[in-house]
Amino acid sequence: MDKASHLSVVIDLSPTQWHLCSQSSNPYPLTLQSFLSQLLAFFNSHIACKDENTLAVFGAFPGKSVLLYSSTTIAAEEHSVNADANTYRPFKVLDSTIMGSIRNQLEALELLEAEAPIGLVGAITKSLCYINRLTIPSSSTTPAEEKQAPLDPRILIFSVSPDQSPSYIPIMNSIFSAQKLKVTIDVCKIYGPDSVFLQQAAHLTGGSYLHLNRPDAVLQYLTMSFLPPPGIRQLLSVPTQDKIDFRAACFCHKKIVDIGFVCSVCLSIFCNPVPVCSTCR
Amino acid sequence: MPSTVCTAKTSYKKLPGLLELTSTHLQWTQDGKKASLVKVPHSEAVSLFCSKEGAAQVRLKVAVVGDDAGHNFTFTSPQPVALAEREKFKNELTNIIARNRTASATPAATAPGTPSALARSTSLAPRGTSSPARNAVSRAASASSDSRGTPVANDPTSDFRLRKKVLLGNPELASLHRELVMGGHISENEFWEGREHLLLAQAAAESQKRGKPGQLVDPRPQTVDGEIKIVITPQLVHDIFEEYPVVAKAYNDNVPNKLSEAEFWKRYFQSKLFNAHRASIRSSAAQHVVKDDPIFDKYLEKDDDDLEPRRLRDESVDIFIDLGATQEDHGETGNIKDVTMQAGKQRAVLPLIRKFNEHSERLLNTTLGEPATKRRRTDVAEGPDHYSQIDLEDLHDNQSTTGIILNMQDRERYFDGRSADPLGSQAASEKFDFRSTLQEVKISLQDWSTSLNRLKLDRKAGDEALNGMTQNVAARLEVKRTKHDIPENLFRQMTTCQTAANEFLRQFWLSIYPPVIDGQTVSTATPAQKAAKAAKMIDYLSRTHEKVDALVQTAQQEGVDPARVHVAMKPVLDAVDNALDFWRKRNSKPLR
Repeated sequence: MDKASHLSVVIDLSPTQWHLCSQSSNPYPLTLQSFLSQLLAFFNSHIACKDENTLAVFGAFPGKSVLLYSSTTIAAEEHSVNADANTYRPFKVLDSTIMGSIRNQLEALELLEAEAPIGLVGAITKSLCYINRLTIPSSSTTPAEEKQAPLDPRILIFSVSPDQSPSYIPIMNSIFSAQKLKVTIDVCKIYGPDSVFLQQAAHLTGGSYLHLNRPDAVLQYLTMSFLPPPGIRQLLSVPTQDKIDFRAACFCHKKIVDIGFVCSVCLSIFCNPVPVCSTCR
Repeated sequence: MPSTVCTAKTSYKKLPGLLELTSTHLQWTQDGKKASLVKVPHSEAVSLFCSKEGAAQVRLKVAVVGDDAGHNFTFTSPQPVALAEREKFKNELTNIIARNRTASATPAATAPGTPSALARSTSLAPRGTSSPARNAVSRAASASSDSRGTPVANDPTSDFRLRKKVLLGNPELASLHRELVMGGHISENEFWEGREHLLLAQAAAESQKRGKPGQLVDPRPQTVDGEIKIVITPQLVHDIFEEYPVVAKAYNDNVPNKLSEAEFWKRYFQSKLFNAHRASIRSSAAQHVVKDDPIFDKYLEKDDDDLEPRRLRDESVDIFIDLGATQEDHGETGNIKDVTMQAGKQRAVLPLIRKFNEHSERLLNTTLGEPATKRRRTDVAEGPDHYSQIDLEDLHDNQSTTGIILNMQDRERYFDGRSADPLGSQAASEKFDFRSTLQEVKISLQDWSTSLNRLKLDRKAGDEALNGMTQNVAARLEVKRTKHDIPENLFRQMTTCQTAANEFLRQFWLSIYPPVIDGQTVSTATPAQKAAKAAKMIDYLSRTHEKVDALVQTAQQEGVDPARVHVAMKPVLDAVDNALDFWRKRNSKPLR
């Protein structure tokens, strides 16, 4: 780990799905509380690996997505954090910032009547934008700052919600942007059925997709698979999925289809053959 | 009614009759009959053979496309008349055949013999040197280009021929064909349904016209019975005259006044002129047979080995390939003169190189048109257009390309991730009150600090996770490490099973999903036929499991780990199960 590495994390914080995940009827239930504790431990180890390592955390809430924490904005909030004799101060700052923002966001959700679909795509897009800003320094930054632009950027997605087929096109577009930015997307599926789109995201960007067999030991998975940056993965052999679901969602009804019909001009996918493509005519 | 070019009394298969050459056909009619027994279109005449002069019978043989035996005609008029008649036929037919040859490019190597002074052979048999296969190819090409303008294979015979060709060129497809069609599983037409593009490609490739063969005219002596002979054919004569106009001139000057035709060729092949015309250095071996010849030496040109070629090329050289164009840039300070590419460094090879160049030029001109038209084209490109010639598209910076803007109709709906479409999971989640779950989540957030401090992983869970991941990595390493050691026989069976199942799947889905785009639609099957076919395919597919089980048993007998066969066949079985499921669901629907 001689290079600094940047990690953007997208956390799926759907209250319903977390409720389902923590049900004791599951073989290995995982409560949100326990998950967040383990996640914070993982964040701290990422920061501790190297001084220059950076972190950005995005929360995907029902109907919205928010930047919960980023290493670059930390300075302002540092003073409001109480010192703790047992904790290394930067860890403490990181942990309390993340937890504080999650709480604030959940509070805002009180106004909603029912749970809106999860804003996962928004969170992924925001993290891509964030990485783009880091890798392409603006003209105002000094050369010294430029040098610190972290290499090997990657996105780690924690997913508990099932696929939303309407978001197929935005997800695919994010995957293509990630490929262009040379961003690796890792996926950690904690609860629920395998996600078709996220499998493809991990496969197409060279990341690894991990469906946890023992969600209660999520920290074990995190440290083993997702702590090393992509550069080191080639030497380490990180577990991943060997079977990938390549199905796509049709553009017309947003259904995931086995057999689709593709427009030869604009590559739109349809579940039924249509004489005229509705996308490009 | 096509006009008659020449006629002669001949016998064909020992029957007396009349041989006629019209502007389109060569035909023979038996005496007293109306209809012609033999009718050969000009385009089908391939080669011509004559009996030697002075033979008892004056015969003419014409070989046609698809029939090397051809037709034998014996001229029945008295000797001198018969000879004259035959000469006339020979001349006309030679021209026709030469035309055919340039059109269809039958290999120029066919060297059947008319008798000559050197070839004392009385044989009428063709001395074809080209392989039968190659003959077949060119014949097919000429046939298809002549008879049909469009290469659409409609008639069954050519369809069959095309299919055979495609299979011959594609061993994998051939083995699949053997397995499925010859095994009686699916019909020939079913097999080709959906593969029409292969046939079309083959037909298109065949109907492509071949250009003039690029071979230099180089008559090679053959050793027959210890004598060195060169067999002359009317075609060879034609080629020689075309290649070396000087020989044609000599022929016109001397034959038949000073020399007979046979004498002419005999002397020509022994002359210095012939030696100068030879295409290779090999000629030095034959040097000792070269004699001075007063007639031919007149036509001998000086060796073309001066620095300046005798025949100057009259076209202006393109400025971008003219090495002399930048000469002035290489003054005292510039680069040293090029030492590797000096023209005429080796004087002896100059004539040969120039001969090759002239030959190539002639060949190019026959395909591209005369240099006159070519020059006009370059003239136009001259002047300010030089810049556009070096302005290569590949050198443009492609970073700034804007791409093609996709005109999307109603584009909002593609970006709308939260469409009204109900989520699949919504039904399940509605059971939970959103507010209560939200409350629950919020409670779990309180006191995160103590929870973090008390974080302790269950050892068993951690171990299990570790094992799971290790197995995952190990399994992938295993695949990389294991060598292919399945016995050849079993492996072939597995491959066959796999390709067969794939073909059945293809046929099945093809009958389920009809290509709706009209115009190009080739399948003419009715829905009922399609349904029947799908049912048949399902029948085959449902047996795939048995086949795989049989393979697994074979594997056990052969001492191969059956699990490996299972793993290998798993994807196919999955696909088959998918199709079976689909079929079951589809069929159960209408019943309700």
